[in-house]
Amino acid sequence: MDLFINPAGELPIYRQIMRQITSAIAGNHLRPGDKLTSHRDLAERLVIAPLTVKKAYDELERQGLLETLRGKGTFISAKAVVKRSAERERLKEAARTLLHQAYLSGLDLDDALSAVEQAAREIARTKDKD
Amino acid sequence: MQILQINNVVRAYRRGVPVLDGTSFAVEKGEVVGLLGRNGAGKTTLLRILMGMIKPQSGAVRVFGMDPQLQPVEIKRRTGFVAEDQVYPPLCRASELLLFHRSLYAGWDNAMEDELVSRFGLRRDARISEMSKGEARQVALICAVCHKPELLILDEPAGGLDPAARREFLETSIQLLNRAGTTILFSSHHMADVERIASRVVLLDKGKVCIDSDLDQLRETLCIAVVPLGDTVTVAALEAVLGCVRARNNGHSVHGVFHGDPDEVAARIAGALRVDPPPCQNVPLEELFIEIVGR
Repeated sequence: MDLFINPAGELPIYRQIMRQITSAIAGNHLRPGDKLTSHRDLAERLVIAPLTVKKAYDELERQGLLETLRGKGTFISAKAVVKRSAERERLKEAARTLLHQAYLSGLDLDDALSAVEQAAREIARTKDKD
Repeated sequence: MQILQINNVVRAYRRGVPVLDGTSFAVEKGEVVGLLGRNGAGKTTLLRILMGMIKPQSGAVRVFGMDPQLQPVEIKRRTGFVAEDQVYPPLCRASELLLFHRSLYAGWDNAMEDELVSRFGLRRDARISEMSKGEARQVALICAVCHKPELLILDEPAGGLDPAARREFLETSIQLLNRAGTTILFSSHHMADVERIASRVVLLDKGKVCIDSDLDQLRETLCIAVVPLGDTVTVAALEAVLGCVRARNNGHSVHGVFHGDPDEVAARIAGALRVDPPPCQNVPLEELFIEIVGR
């Protein structure tokens, strides 16, 4: 799985990593038993401090999403369940941003909704091609 | 274990104008600490005191528990240092500088030297005078790390490097952290680099430590409020609100740095100044830096 971090983002880097892994579990891109890149390798790949990745993994382990097997690595926990409510909350945030943008350019709720529907159709079309 | 101890250090270059005016903090083993501050805040002075290059006028520093003035060799054996304005003899070749450093240190890692020379794409027979600023700094970095120091002190390590060279430098630092758990104290103006590798930041302002905090905690516990100027809204009024670290006038509004959750801070300001809840948000280090030490 490819992670992307932005050091100038609103969230600290370890939160960005946590969020992306959580979303990938919620979206079934990461499944129970999948092995994660070791924190040292991921740190080198993302060019961030190893402790930052470890912090993200530790926090996710505390939440029950990951488990570390000594000498084997870090895996998506068999019991990994992402709370849909938290994911919905984040979606609401993104929706607020979308609406702000619509209102700033003089568009209304209906315009925003039709933009969402159009985007949904486009995504569906690209999925069909795959 | 504390690798660095800095206790109430005072240092002035001109009588009555202290650059460091009672600076104190400590660095634990394995920490990566970003030393921040505006130009002239005393970062270089502090690093030079740690390396024993200048003496504090009062207060004391300890490196590995030793006084840099009394045991400079013992400290330097275990420390790597790159100065902001590292000057090497212009006619010296890279190979000669590396040979010189290799002969100074018993534990020199030849494989690491080779790896870094090829990663940076340096020519060993090039003279310092023929190198770009970036290449000369890369040579300085190699000289500072190949004896596998327990402590790295870097003054503006990325100063004058282009973004690609800076990234190579960061990659090298992260590999060092991975392999050896090196303790690092570095000064920098590149906040994105600081976010990438520092676990803690120390911000110097007016000769004192103005912020000393875990970086993630700082990012998550401080927020910026932007309050439109009004009858009740002044810098002094905002600074009087509970949890305000600093406020400054930004023309049409007063910007305040606050401790606390953004929503809760907005409510606090609204209540204290009888205004609508202002926009409050967590911001990246760069914005925090500007709000805290900017004019």
